[in-house]
Amino acid sequence: MADITLRVNGATRTGSPEARKTLADFLRDDLNLTGTHVGCEHGVCGACTVILDGRAVRSCLMLAVQAAGREVTTIEGLAPDGEHGGHEGLGTLQQAMWDSHSFQCGFCTPGFVMQATAFLGDHPDADEQQIREALSGNICRCTGYQSIIDGVLLAAQRNRTLRNREPLSEERP
Amino acid sequence: MTAIAAERYTGASIKRSEDPRILTGAGRYVDDVKLPGMLHAAFVRSPMAHARVLSVDASAARALPGVVAVLTGADLEAMTVPGPDALMALMGWKGPTPQFTLLATDKVRLVGDPVAVVIAGSRYLAEDGCELVEVDYDDLPPVMDAAVALDPGSPPLFANLGDNIARTHSRHEFGDVAATFANADRVLDFHIDVHRHQNVPMEGRGCVASYDAGSGVMTMYAATQSVHVTRIAVAMRLGMEQDKVRVLAGDIGGSFGLKIGASREELAVAAASRQVGRPVKWVEDRGENLTVSGQAREESFDVRAAVGDDGALLGLDVKMVVDTGSYPGMGAMVPDIMEAMLPGPYKLAALGFESTGAITNKASYVAYRGPWASETFVRERVLNLIAKDLGLDPVEIRLRNVAPRTDPPAVMITGRPLAGVTSRESLERVAQLVDFPAFRQRQAEARAHGRYLGIGVATFIEAAPGPRSPEGPSGPMGMESMRLRLTEDGIVVLFTGQMPHGQSHQTTLAQIAADEFGVPFEQVRVVVGDSDVVPFGLTGGSRSATMTGGVALHGARQLKAKVLDFAAHLMEASAQDLLITDGNVWVRGDPASAIAVSEVARRAASGQSEAGADARLEVEATFDGGEGGWSGGTHCAIVDVDIETGIVKVERYVAAEDCGALINPAVVEGQIRGGIAQGIGAVLLERSAYGEDGSFQSATFMDYLMPTACDVPRIEIEHLETVPLDADVNFRGVGEGGMIVAPPTVVNAIEDALSPFGVRIYEQHLPPARILELIAAAAPGQLTGGFAAGGRGTGVARRR
Repeated sequence: MADITLRVNGATRTGSPEARKTLADFLRDDLNLTGTHVGCEHGVCGACTVILDGRAVRSCLMLAVQAAGREVTTIEGLAPDGEHGGHEGLGTLQQAMWDSHSFQCGFCTPGFVMQATAFLGDHPDADEQQIREALSGNICRCTGYQSIIDGVLLAAQRNRTLRNREPLSEERP
Repeated sequence: MTAIAAERYTGASIKRSEDPRILTGAGRYVDDVKLPGMLHAAFVRSPMAHARVLSVDASAARALPGVVAVLTGADLEAMTVPGPDALMALMGWKGPTPQFTLLATDKVRLVGDPVAVVIAGSRYLAEDGCELVEVDYDDLPPVMDAAVALDPGSPPLFANLGDNIARTHSRHEFGDVAATFANADRVLDFHIDVHRHQNVPMEGRGCVASYDAGSGVMTMYAATQSVHVTRIAVAMRLGMEQDKVRVLAGDIGGSFGLKIGASREELAVAAASRQVGRPVKWVEDRGENLTVSGQAREESFDVRAAVGDDGALLGLDVKMVVDTGSYPGMGAMVPDIMEAMLPGPYKLAALGFESTGAITNKASYVAYRGPWASETFVRERVLNLIAKDLGLDPVEIRLRNVAPRTDPPAVMITGRPLAGVTSRESLERVAQLVDFPAFRQRQAEARAHGRYLGIGVATFIEAAPGPRSPEGPSGPMGMESMRLRLTEDGIVVLFTGQMPHGQSHQTTLAQIAADEFGVPFEQVRVVVGDSDVVPFGLTGGSRSATMTGGVALHGARQLKAKVLDFAAHLMEASAQDLLITDGNVWVRGDPASAIAVSEVARRAASGQSEAGADARLEVEATFDGGEGGWSGGTHCAIVDVDIETGIVKVERYVAAEDCGALINPAVVEGQIRGGIAQGIGAVLLERSAYGEDGSFQSATFMDYLMPTACDVPRIEIEHLETVPLDADVNFRGVGEGGMIVAPPTVVNAIEDALSPFGVRIYEQHLPPARILELIAAAAPGQLTGGFAAGGRGTGVARRR
């Protein structure tokens, strides 16, 4: 057991996980954040993707103790935002995915949402092929991916529309 | 929820009511269930494919702190009831029935066979315990091939059978097979293999079993396609009365046929919970899922085709062998469906069909999306091989053979009428959408530059539910039931035995009921996943669109009639003059008379109803499928085969599909695309691979390759809705078609791409290495580049 302190979804959390406990299991079992799903335990399927210090990582390949002192965002920590988000607790990307019928069974969903959140943050103008490549490390068995890609493209487009409007309202102190 | 404005919900791509929870991590899957005092299970599994179990020593594991119990095969046998596989028993299986225990006792029969279960305070501790269980095995020769299994000299896996025959050989003939073959212009022979691959839902199997000794009630939180089938399976094996078993299910992370009933492991976990008196959770890891959850296909076919010189497919004579794996599953039963479906939409005059099932030391055969799909693969492959021999276009040969749409409808030689089948229309539509002459020109130009493009077409029909039969309900699984109730909040609640695991029933059934009853979409609630509350049902077999969509429609109609009867007393009007729209009951022509349905329900519940008014605003509806009908369609793929690397890229994919009236087009298209993706994966990537020694070689996602966003192209879908058969219910199932027809579509395209080399393809799995082998075998010496010579492009240059 090791005592750790980390930031999860904007709050300071402490815990005493066994050294061998994965970050995914720590989030799910110790912090009750069951939105992070475990799909393969060997880093291939991407269902367990969370954002660690701004980067998408596989929480099944990382030990909880390695996350000590760091900032973790899980699907539960995505805030509703923007003109196209805000309903039903959804952010812009989630809303675009809802509008695009992106998912079916929903098990892979948190991983895709987190991966796409991190990717769009770094590549707001990505095209379809770039998005496909960025999401090719996440496996979905239900959809054939097209609806997921469409959701990410729609979110990127909505973000661009908002961004283009922003200079008008930027005159804040 | 924000109100959805639509004239009519049915037919519109209404956004799914499942999505807000799924998109925010608020879904509740079985691994999210936590109960007070809950323990965790892990299984000790066999490293051998076939061995006698000499001894199991669990003493060290039992002594490990944190381990609560270790149960061996013998322990489990003593606390459960022997019997057949519950699902096979429910489906009326009468053939060879192996006797098996939940955990291995006398011997292990596949790599991963569970031998003992360790129950501990955490999964980590349970796995620690597994490491300490000592099992002594005595090797037996593994039976890894159906042909070996069927040899009377092979060691029987199950002592009570004495051989390895899962399905006794049978032969049936439809039409005059001998005369059809005797009179044919030509008779062609083929051997076609379909490889072993598997469901791989992103969430594996799992359950939390919680036995309450006081009440004697077992509560199972399950990932299942049917809470009732799971209930029956648990009750059978644990020797319990069914009413003492309650099965609950929340969100389910996919299944594709895998999660029907209860697996041996899940039954063992239930027994363990009863034994230790605490809740026990088991969620399989990916290694367990790939190794032992179940696999499908692995069928071989000797095919003789009687053919006319004009391309007419006159008759087929097929000998099928299915490798059913070790423990009983669906494998022994699929040949019956394949036999019935083999003629497809074509006017075959004769069919001979033989089948045998073999038991081997591999994972059990389970249902996988379109379990009978190999009949379409065989037929659509054979048609292409014939077309090649006769120099016919792949669309043309199909148009020549498709049964014409007549009244009364043409009848498949195996017996079912082809009512409302639109195969011809879908073929013609694909030919319009894909400009074949332009493709042929592009193909020729590409070949001149050493690039190999190919085009493939395949057609299918799916009995979803199937045509009405004189004997009973359409479709193979009987009537569908639903209970509907109007609550005092004005909510129309549908209780269904469907157990959605991605199919969006909470949305689609609400669309239908909202339209029929006359309330906003948000005022309909769909209740699933509690065996004490919902009627019997099962999500599978592409059944829900017609059967459950139909019972939702008729049930909402019956409930509405009941509500109007009561409201008629209340409003002192004739029920015939009353309408329900937008959640209000009103007298025709008098909008001011409107009262909310919630008010009607409150008055009914108050007990102050007029004499003679039935105040129980609830109905139990059933539906027999109405006139039923077929789903079907034609798919077309264009592929680009790199003959240097063997890599196949699917460049374009077009699907013309007919599933009757669409409930929710976005949901329908999601089903079609998902099935196609699995079909592309089956051909290009996925294989459940065993070594000759019985070792399992694809137990991780590094070995069992799943299609990704870079492997599946944008899929173009065209809907045909040509032939309504029923007065009300013309929705047809669309869950399985993509997976049924995509494999032959893609293989046909690959063969077309490789036609300059004279390649003929008689198998389904075509990863890069196999593509290179096929080219090398068909055109020895022509292709010396690639890996062998190392020089890019040299093979083509030398050939020319």
